[in-house]
Amino acid sequence: MVDVLTTTESATDLVGGRFGRGGSTLRFVAAKIGGGLVSLVMVVVLGFFLFRAMPGNPVRTLIRDRPGDLEQVERLRREWSLDKSLFGQFVDYIVDLAHGDLGTSFKYRQPVTDLLWDRVGATVLLTGTALVLSVALGLWLGTRAAWRHGSRFDQLSTATALVLWSVPTFWLGLIVLIVFAVGLDLFPTAGMVSPGGVDGFFPSILDTGHHLVLPALTMVAVVYAQYLMVMRSSLLEEMNADYLTTARAKGLRDDDVRSKHAVPNALLPTVTIIFLHVGFLISGAVTVEKVFSWPGLGLLTYEAIQVPDYPLLQGSLIVLAGAVIVMNVLADIVYRLIDPRVRTS
Amino acid sequence: MSASSIAWTRRRVALGAAWKLFIANRSGLIGLIVLGVVLVLALLAPLLVDDSQLSVTKATGGVLDPPDGEYWLGTEENGRSVLILTWYGAQVSLLVGISAALLSVGIGTIVGMLAAHFRGWPSALLLRVTDFFLVLPSLVLAIVLSTVLARGLPTIILAIGVTSWSSTARLVRAQTLTVEARPFIERAQVLGGGHAHILVRHVLPAVFPLVLANTTLTVGSAIISESTLAFLGLGAPGTVSWGGMLKSALDTGAVTAGAWWYLLPPGIAIVIVVLGFTLAGRALETVLNPNLRGRR
Amino acid sequence: MTGPLPSAPLSSASLSSPDPLPSSAPLLEFRDVTVDYSTSRGWVPAVRGVSLTLEAGDTLGLCGESGCGKSTLAMSVLRLLPASARIGGQILLDGEDVTTLSWGRLRAVRWAQASIVFQGAMHSLNPVQRIGDQIAEPLVLHGFRGPVRARVAALLEQVELPVSRASAYPHELSGGQRQRVMIAMALACEPKLVIADEPTTALDVVVQAQVLDRFGDLVRERDIGLVMISHDLSVLAASCRRVAVMYDGRVVEEGTSEQIMTAPQHPHAVALAAAFPTVGDPASRLVPPSPDGLKAPFSRPSRLKAPFSQLPAGNNDGVLEAEGLSVVFSQRGGGTVRDVDGVSLRCESNEIVALVGQSGSGKTTLARTLLGLQRPTAGEVRYAGVALPRSARALRDYRRQVQLVLQDPTGALNPRHSVYEAVAEGIRVHRIDGDERELVAEALSKAELRPPEKFFPALRSELSGGQRQRVVIAGALALQPRFLVADEPVASLDASVRGEILALLLRLRTDLGLGALVITHDLGLAWTIADRVLVMYRGKLVEEGPTEQVLLAPEHDYTKLLISVLPQSTRPA
Repeated sequence: MVDVLTTTESATDLVGGRFGRGGSTLRFVAAKIGGGLVSLVMVVVLGFFLFRAMPGNPVRTLIRDRPGDLEQVERLRREWSLDKSLFGQFVDYIVDLAHGDLGTSFKYRQPVTDLLWDRVGATVLLTGTALVLSVALGLWLGTRAAWRHGSRFDQLSTATALVLWSVPTFWLGLIVLIVFAVGLDLFPTAGMVSPGGVDGFFPSILDTGHHLVLPALTMVAVVYAQYLMVMRSSLLEEMNADYLTTARAKGLRDDDVRSKHAVPNALLPTVTIIFLHVGFLISGAVTVEKVFSWPGLGLLTYEAIQVPDYPLLQGSLIVLAGAVIVMNVLADIVYRLIDPRVRTS
Repeated sequence: MSASSIAWTRRRVALGAAWKLFIANRSGLIGLIVLGVVLVLALLAPLLVDDSQLSVTKATGGVLDPPDGEYWLGTEENGRSVLILTWYGAQVSLLVGISAALLSVGIGTIVGMLAAHFRGWPSALLLRVTDFFLVLPSLVLAIVLSTVLARGLPTIILAIGVTSWSSTARLVRAQTLTVEARPFIERAQVLGGGHAHILVRHVLPAVFPLVLANTTLTVGSAIISESTLAFLGLGAPGTVSWGGMLKSALDTGAVTAGAWWYLLPPGIAIVIVVLGFTLAGRALETVLNPNLRGRR
Repeated sequence: MTGPLPSAPLSSASLSSPDPLPSSAPLLEFRDVTVDYSTSRGWVPAVRGVSLTLEAGDTLGLCGESGCGKSTLAMSVLRLLPASARIGGQILLDGEDVTTLSWGRLRAVRWAQASIVFQGAMHSLNPVQRIGDQIAEPLVLHGFRGPVRARVAALLEQVELPVSRASAYPHELSGGQRQRVMIAMALACEPKLVIADEPTTALDVVVQAQVLDRFGDLVRERDIGLVMISHDLSVLAASCRRVAVMYDGRVVEEGTSEQIMTAPQHPHAVALAAAFPTVGDPASRLVPPSPDGLKAPFSRPSRLKAPFSQLPAGNNDGVLEAEGLSVVFSQRGGGTVRDVDGVSLRCESNEIVALVGQSGSGKTTLARTLLGLQRPTAGEVRYAGVALPRSARALRDYRRQVQLVLQDPTGALNPRHSVYEAVAEGIRVHRIDGDERELVAEALSKAELRPPEKFFPALRSELSGGQRQRVVIAGALALQPRFLVADEPVASLDASVRGEILALLLRLRTDLGLGALVITHDLGLAWTIADRVLVMYRGKLVEEGPTEQVLLAPEHDYTKLLISVLPQSTRPA
């Protein structure tokens, strides 16, 4: 939903706003970590607020949607100490959270924390692969498209990117599934490993890889387009810079002017924007995991919706949101170390 | 020439110039035409489609029949015509898309303008909240909201609107900061203008065109969000929507049975509508932001 | 504490090598050069048939206003124009016609035969590369044999930069330092020709003099041909032996710099020369001296309508004062900066006071504090004997008395508003009584935009620079103030238009009794229209007095320094 195509705010403005200038690195790192902690606190509070304090009381919803499921209602009442005051509930919630206790899932009757922990690896594998591939592809194509602005290649790349952006991820996944898995039978249709497991270390890696192809492909297809557009527009913006004229005046070839001067300048803010939108990638994981039955956090969230399994949903929200926040803090710090423009003098 | 007629004349001239530029942009024109067609179809749907066609119990077609002379796009699992359902589904998508976009852009514009205009802790607070929502996986948040509140169209609209305003807020904030850095704002201050005068007479007119372009683009993304939520099972019960159709397609095994006629139309419809809004929105941006002219 | 004053550079005696050797072919020759740009409206000419020559070791200045084609002409020497440009005629660099060179040969020629010192060093340097690497880049590219580091160090030494700065990034250097880096970079491959495009525009006067001096020395030592481009005729006359004046793509006059400055023929050259008056020349002093050397306060009935009029009338009427004013800003990373340090001044209506100082002297902060846009850390501002209020409502009333004219007339007008709306803005905010149309027309007439009705619907983009500034002035006049604060009112305008605006300010003083505090770095401007001069240095007022006294018989060292760095032609004899 947060989309990168509408960034008419220039890349360098965005970066300037986030990083400012001057000040010591240590103070910056401390400030960013502090900010991250505040955000995490906000996530925790949000998690509580959404489930307990919202006007649509989940218990009532539960009763309404499933009349007669008294056992669920009782379980919820007990776990969330719904008879206590709101403040009392909040205190219990924080205390539990401090112990790593995210409650017990309705559906699985297991601690939520355990469930999440089991599935984390699969999601990391999928989103990590998709992130790396789409960043590489998007940046490379975006650079070429910008430098050959107006050419066939550029027009084609932009058109493809726009169309792919308009495609819902889950639908693309369904199509890919039908064509490659069902129709052509080239890839498995579901899961992360073949049923029954595979013996041996190497073969099991290959097997997982085989299962990874389609879901990763789907995610990359939708997301790379956004990175392409960001890189392209950053580089186009950079191409009007005066220092490129200086570089040409020195006698540099066009390719060198691009790769040695324009691209490094355009790359830095682009990477920041990409990290800002990691949340979008994770959202995509929910639908892709559902379509391909990839056993990750996304699929777990989907299953939780169907019940609805409130403790699991709450835990899912906190973990996913928290992960994105942590990633952003790291990205900000790394960026600060790389870009000389925002470093202290 | 009276004072107000001068103002209106210049607005009309500016609008005319913008329109001409917009038309010259071929992709924008295509987008606009597509949207026009879709809008007309959507509005005509309740007039031309008989209610009985939508009823599950009165359906007359076979189950998951491929396209033939009578049912041009085949039938779905209840025997209803896929074509009719797809046509009817446009209503929900447009309604939710536009409402959610208006809500999202409304919140974003106000937050962005206030965050940029005022200094001190209110601004810092707004900025922090904006950054927070910007980074969050909005779909996950929307899912949670939709689960917690009663199912229905208002819930979906609220869920999408409340989780996607932050990119508009950032944009409006950046634009407001740019505008307020211009000397004519200082001149307005020196002439004696207060907050309201500056915001209304200078900032808002400068920000409005980009907000309009942004709204158009946001509608596209809101439609995708709506269809995703419906696909995940959080759609409004009793309504026909493209996402819901795709969910049904998957659930009833139509996908694995190879019923492509059930799978393709809703998806293609989404792509066409979203693409239309995206193209029109990008063309608007190009027209309204001269900096982007050379860059698209 | 203020540090020691920067030392005045020695004045440059000779401007180029004595007797430039007539070689067989001139170093640079333009033969009937034309440059056209392809636009949506067809071919637009930027340079129309220019023919000039430059011998090795000689110096040529290209002078003209923005849009006259001088930069285009200079960029064409190395074919650095955008793809939409078409060059006609011949450009001979050391005998080779640049316009017909192959790409490979052109790249070899670039920088090694001729290099450019670009204007705006902040944007002309790669912000994420160390300056040492940027200077080394052309060396490596053109096959320099030998230790690159040592050569870079030698170059930095020659422009008087510490060698340690080679590892710095552009944003870590000051404007003057960046410009020196550009010069060092330009000299790296020992070119025969150097083109300097507005080399001192962004610098303040003292640094400008230093940079020009050093540049001149280096060029002379190496017998390099120099083409310098500027809109400031006095700078060119001081640095170049010959000057060519360009207007609308053509060279309208050419000759030695003395000829152009003292006896220009073409009307445009005349206008340019007149824009840079010689301080001390009675011909350019527009203020008639009053019998007792000081302006007698003009007595006019007060036209105040706001609560300020409830003050005891008397000779406090319409007087803007500051007492012990200090404005301290806290800096990022700790520490404070005293932008304004204990300034006390007094300005009457019906006199024009010039506040002179370099950039960074705090004059703009002082102006903003006087207008109530900035709160002072200490001291107070008084108008008509009453301290400046803090509340928004009372400040608004104050604004009817004291108004502002900004430096950038283009930025000061909202591009979407018509002239009518711009001038009516103040009237509407204050809900002034009377027919709005008439008030707007009256203000425009006072600013000499006649007939006013013709200008009502005009947009900012349809006006010239001078007209825009008049609209800004009209907007201020619409509130019928007693006082104008003008922050560099003509710095952004073309040289030929400056005189008009200054004359307008003077006329407003004599006709309406409007006092003005004009903030400027330009001593020539002060000489032309100011009654009194205040000199500011690092936040403090170091000298004040009647114009003739301060500019012709300065007492403070800093004032003497400012006068000494005036380009020779504008210095008092």
